[in-house]
Amino acid sequence: MAGAQELLAQLNGEMAGLAGRVRASLVRVETAGRGAGAGTVWHPDGLILTNAHVVQGNSPWVVLPDGRRLQARILAQDRELDLAALAVEAQDLPTIEVGDSRELRPGSWVVAFGHPWGVESAATAGVVIGQGQMLPERPEFGRSWIAASLHYRPGHSGGPLVDAGGRLVGINTVMAGPDVGLAVPVQEVKGFLKRRLGGMAPDFQKVRTWA
Amino acid sequence: MGEMVQNLSSELAGIVESAGRWAVRVEGRRRMPATGIAWTHSGVIATASHVVERDEDLWIGLGAGERLAAQIIGRDPTTDLAALQVEGAELAAAEQAGGDGLAVGHLVLALGRPGKTVQATLGIVSALGEAWRTPSGGQVDQYLQTDVVMYPGFSGGPLVDMQGKVLGLNTSAMGGVSLALPTSTIQRVIQALQTHGRVRRGYLGVGLQPARLPKGVAEQLDQESGLLILSVESDSPAEQGGLTLGDTLLSLEGQPIRHMEDLMVLLAGDQVGKKASLQVLRGGKVQKLSVTVGERP
Repeated sequence: MAGAQELLAQLNGEMAGLAGRVRASLVRVETAGRGAGAGTVWHPDGLILTNAHVVQGNSPWVVLPDGRRLQARILAQDRELDLAALAVEAQDLPTIEVGDSRELRPGSWVVAFGHPWGVESAATAGVVIGQGQMLPERPEFGRSWIAASLHYRPGHSGGPLVDAGGRLVGINTVMAGPDVGLAVPVQEVKGFLKRRLGGMAPDFQKVRTWA
Repeated sequence: MGEMVQNLSSELAGIVESAGRWAVRVEGRRRMPATGIAWTHSGVIATASHVVERDEDLWIGLGAGERLAAQIIGRDPTTDLAALQVEGAELAAAEQAGGDGLAVGHLVLALGRPGKTVQATLGIVSALGEAWRTPSGGQVDQYLQTDVVMYPGFSGGPLVDMQGKVLGLNTSAMGGVSLALPTSTIQRVIQALQTHGRVRRGYLGVGLQPARLPKGVAEQLDQESGLLILSVESDSPAEQGGLTLGDTLLSLEGQPIRHMEDLMVLLAGDQVGKKASLQVLRGGKVQKLSVTVGERP
């Protein structure tokens, strides 16, 4: 029995370590008159990724993990994919490690981060239910989702979904019932950034604000 | 750093991949397909009764993408189990867990295959208990409740332990909690369905209500209560056996009947067609009668 408890203690320790790393690049995205969503630092010079529905075309504010609250520009957004790229004036921000959503399998462990009901930087863990376009709850979407058994709540939107190694595999986007969350796969995010910003070019700060 | 979580993750995915071979798609209703368990090599599929809404045009989808026609063997709505037969296919039959070491808190996976690929959710065993009876009278050998999320189309699919063995069949039809029917119950019901096409239940044809026995009778029989007959159906085994309104059932084949539950257990399927001796309280006196147990229509 002692062995089992050691394993659980180790598991808890590793989960806490994973959460600590992810939270270092987790931001809050606020827009006037609306609740807050979440976002992730993609590039150390202030490139932030979130959902398009979190910013709603307004000029958002971003609260960094160190507490700084900065006005953000919307660099690009795609309402169909529900993705938005924001820029803030900051350097040397901790970034998230980017993973590969194609490596997820049903049963793979995933952890979602956000600010559910305004609770700062909360984590919720679950497993991948399935991935693809044929998810029963979203027949109207002919596009790819990651479905995971996770408790998404308002405030998770735009936040990171990470794999067991703490690597970004998706963007928390919508609930599908009380215990199921749908995330935009990170492969879609890579395509979006490449199309709209010319890949992960470090001079994205020169990109004119998209309107 | 993080090695254990990653190992856990890949072991979970590995179990899903291997046990996922036994999770088959069941196309038997107008809404989205559900899931079944490949139960025998010879093509018997166990699934939930409520997902098989029709008797014809049934199809089974396998992991390799094969789609096979299936016939219904039978269904038992009281346990929410149904058995199907696919022809001309050798299936990988589900490996069953022993179930001995299972404890509250153990991790479990629920698998489903409403589409082409296998899907999974993770949870823990929330409660384990004794044998129980469903509201419609089905006998289940063990109470097994989990907190796995039943994603649409997961009904009828396998509940799998961390050895990758099948613990039971997930059904979402009972009262909003995730309940699984243990493998022993699946085996017993499938055998009954194969033999009779249904799960037989004994039947008397009476309406009953528990009633406290008069003090003298209670002391004589060492039994506090019996079942008062409120109605007798015409031409029923009860009427033919001479039971009448106002009798109180006390025992069947020498076994005391204190509550409804006692009678339900005594009227098991193997009693159908047998002559059973009954003790009743009539006009303040204990009398003996004999009834031929019928089969519940």
